[in-house]
Amino acid sequence: MATVYKNFLSSDVVNTRTLLHEAIPVTGSLVSGTYGPSDVALGSEPHIKTYSHGMFESVYDYPFLSSSANHIFDITCGYAGTSALSGASNTQNSKKISIYNQMAQVLMGYDHTGTIRLFDQDGDITSGTKMKECYFMNFSRLLVKDEIKKGTFALELGVVPAFTETGDCLAKRIKLTDSSGSNGYFVNSPAGEYGILFAQTTDDGDATLSTAQLHEETITSQVSIATSHKAAGLIFYQAGIAVISGSVFNANDTHDGLLDNAVDTLILGGKTAGNHGFDTITGSTVAVMANGLRNRVYDLQFDNTTELNSAIHFCRVNHNEFNYSANPTYLNGSKIRVKGNNRKNLPVSYITSVGLYSADRELLAVAKLSEPLKKDPTTELTLKVRLDY
Amino acid sequence: MAGGYNKFGPNDIFYNRVKTHPENRFFINGSQIYYMYQHVRPGEFTGEGSMVSSGHISLYEMNVDRSEAGTGLIKPYVYKDSSYSSFSAVTVDKYFSQYAYGDKIYGVYPMSSSIVRQKFPNGLGATGSALQNTFNFYRPLSPHYEYSSSIFGGNKGDQPSNLIKVPSIFYGSSIKKGSVSLKYYMTGALIAELNDIHKNGELVQIGPTGSNGSGSVAGVVLYNEGFFHLTGAWQLYDAAGGEVVSLDYNNDNTPVATTWQHFCNGCNDGVPHDDPPTVSSNNRGSASFAVDFDGVSYVPTVTMMAHAPIAEFNHSNNLTYLKYNQTAAMTPETGTYQYIENDLIIKNVVSSSYADPTGSFEKTTYISKVGIYDENKNLIGMASLATPVKKTQDREYTFKLKLDI
Repeated sequence: MATVYKNFLSSDVVNTRTLLHEAIPVTGSLVSGTYGPSDVALGSEPHIKTYSHGMFESVYDYPFLSSSANHIFDITCGYAGTSALSGASNTQNSKKISIYNQMAQVLMGYDHTGTIRLFDQDGDITSGTKMKECYFMNFSRLLVKDEIKKGTFALELGVVPAFTETGDCLAKRIKLTDSSGSNGYFVNSPAGEYGILFAQTTDDGDATLSTAQLHEETITSQVSIATSHKAAGLIFYQAGIAVISGSVFNANDTHDGLLDNAVDTLILGGKTAGNHGFDTITGSTVAVMANGLRNRVYDLQFDNTTELNSAIHFCRVNHNEFNYSANPTYLNGSKIRVKGNNRKNLPVSYITSVGLYSADRELLAVAKLSEPLKKDPTTELTLKVRLDY
Repeated sequence: MAGGYNKFGPNDIFYNRVKTHPENRFFINGSQIYYMYQHVRPGEFTGEGSMVSSGHISLYEMNVDRSEAGTGLIKPYVYKDSSYSSFSAVTVDKYFSQYAYGDKIYGVYPMSSSIVRQKFPNGLGATGSALQNTFNFYRPLSPHYEYSSSIFGGNKGDQPSNLIKVPSIFYGSSIKKGSVSLKYYMTGALIAELNDIHKNGELVQIGPTGSNGSGSVAGVVLYNEGFFHLTGAWQLYDAAGGEVVSLDYNNDNTPVATTWQHFCNGCNDGVPHDDPPTVSSNNRGSASFAVDFDGVSYVPTVTMMAHAPIAEFNHSNNLTYLKYNQTAAMTPETGTYQYIENDLIIKNVVSSSYADPTGSFEKTTYISKVGIYDENKNLIGMASLATPVKKTQDREYTFKLKLDI
């Protein structure tokens, strides 16, 4: 029961922000192998949801018909209308262009003429190489929360050219990371901040890493040299969308891709005659392309961020305050019980809770102490009450 | 695309709350708990796909069918910094002694919750006496709540009793009065049932008809706190009503008579699942229990009345609002001293009995979305209509938007 109301001064209340993170691992076994290639054909797994419109497919962590299943991410792909791959006779040509345009207008916006900006390889939207053919991975808000933590995104892909559903295509791998994300991100997107995904070799299939899987990459002391890392996509932190350039799946000589010529262009499955790598998109549906990417995901992980806002109230108890209680048990025969019949003894009280009141003295919140605090005129206290919201 | 901004008036926004009644059904048999009739659903990487034991619910449901080795587990973490933020499982000592500034402090998912039974063979005593004030608080509802009752001559402090604890995540604000049903089964047949039929917290044995103790009060419900406190000590007979059934409830190979004080035996109370007695007829697996109740949970809502008055919202910035093929006119006339936009013709969509000519022109739009903006005109919410609404100059609408908060 409140006996004394004390007003907060401006210096007694401070608003703070705490960042809570979650480490989200999404291993390849979860993306493509949970219900295993040996059991079910790629694309027919019960945790993969496809749609009759055929514009994307969804990946769950459990059979999606179960209420326990969580949506992890969607996969889709597309190309710009100005891409060399665009062609009226392509499979789902208009849908692929629409997907690219929709993603680009949301994530990159428009230029001064009202034209949709294309995805830019280096973040300098005024010039430079554009990514006209892309995969898109839209992560669930359940996992991304407020945003993907900068500098934590990593996607490891198998780069053995042959297409297999047995996991053999993961024997050699490259990793796409936003290694410059923590301080090298860009803010010129209408969808928030984004970073560049850089590619590097992580496993060349040998006992020691020595063979570069990427064009013009240098490996020294079993480490891929950072300065040679090539841009392979973009990661939009607040939107929770990864844009993977189609060049990641192409060899440098034949398809102007990122992979080393010795590696060769990858086969993504569902290939049409003469089309390898991302060129497969011309004769394949979005679903086939999505399965092709899933089949090559070895590991995917990122950390998310949730902002927790707090108001900290410093409740200051001066030496001459709160030494008395209105509880009936405080008195015994009209005398303060704890004085022990000696009026010269100091009054004592035990603080058990702190009430926060509005200006018109409505009780808004009560903070409880884990144990009562002894208070007498010889002590002063500051109780820190934190309210998270 | 915003067609215009209208401010909400003082009578356009209402704050309400929706009262909901979440249904809860627990079934306990052989120390196994089943919640909402769900059986174990095996996963690819774990024995139980939801990663929590049967009868439990998973807070956040973040780790589903995952294992540390197979898929990795989702883990929350905070950095140790000057704000002293941490997880409740990290003690103060551990926080200061085991972590350096900048270290990650990890938590664990999933966190689970279920009902728990606690037996007090010698009364609530010192441990349960923390509930004394709570029991007495309910005294106006029924004298059966009284901790030390002069009417019934019982003292909950030393009266053998059985406490079933329900975490608030299951029921919300309180357990709904009149919804509690506790059923005692023996080899699948109902031998006794308690119900708070008077909605005053008394758990009255309502059946089966003629059962021993029928009509008696076997305990009380603490609605706000989520407790069922059972003190009924009379023996419960088998379904035929002839014999007292004695089982090894205490897992000590000593059969004891069936009473309400053994209700929910094996419900997270330490009584093991796989330790049958030497005499098979005493197997406590013969008894099973159903705990059914509804909760009371409040969902705060905000209701917003968005008005489209007469002669407003009759223009659109969509390009299709204009008549097709006005490319030349779309380019403004510019010069050193002038910038003049040309008049553009609005597409006439007024219908007539003929395809061409159309009806007399009237500014017409179709409202398909209502956007909610903050004071800085940041879009913070969007309501989409199931079908677009035709808006002409002489029509007015009010859209009722409801948002759970």
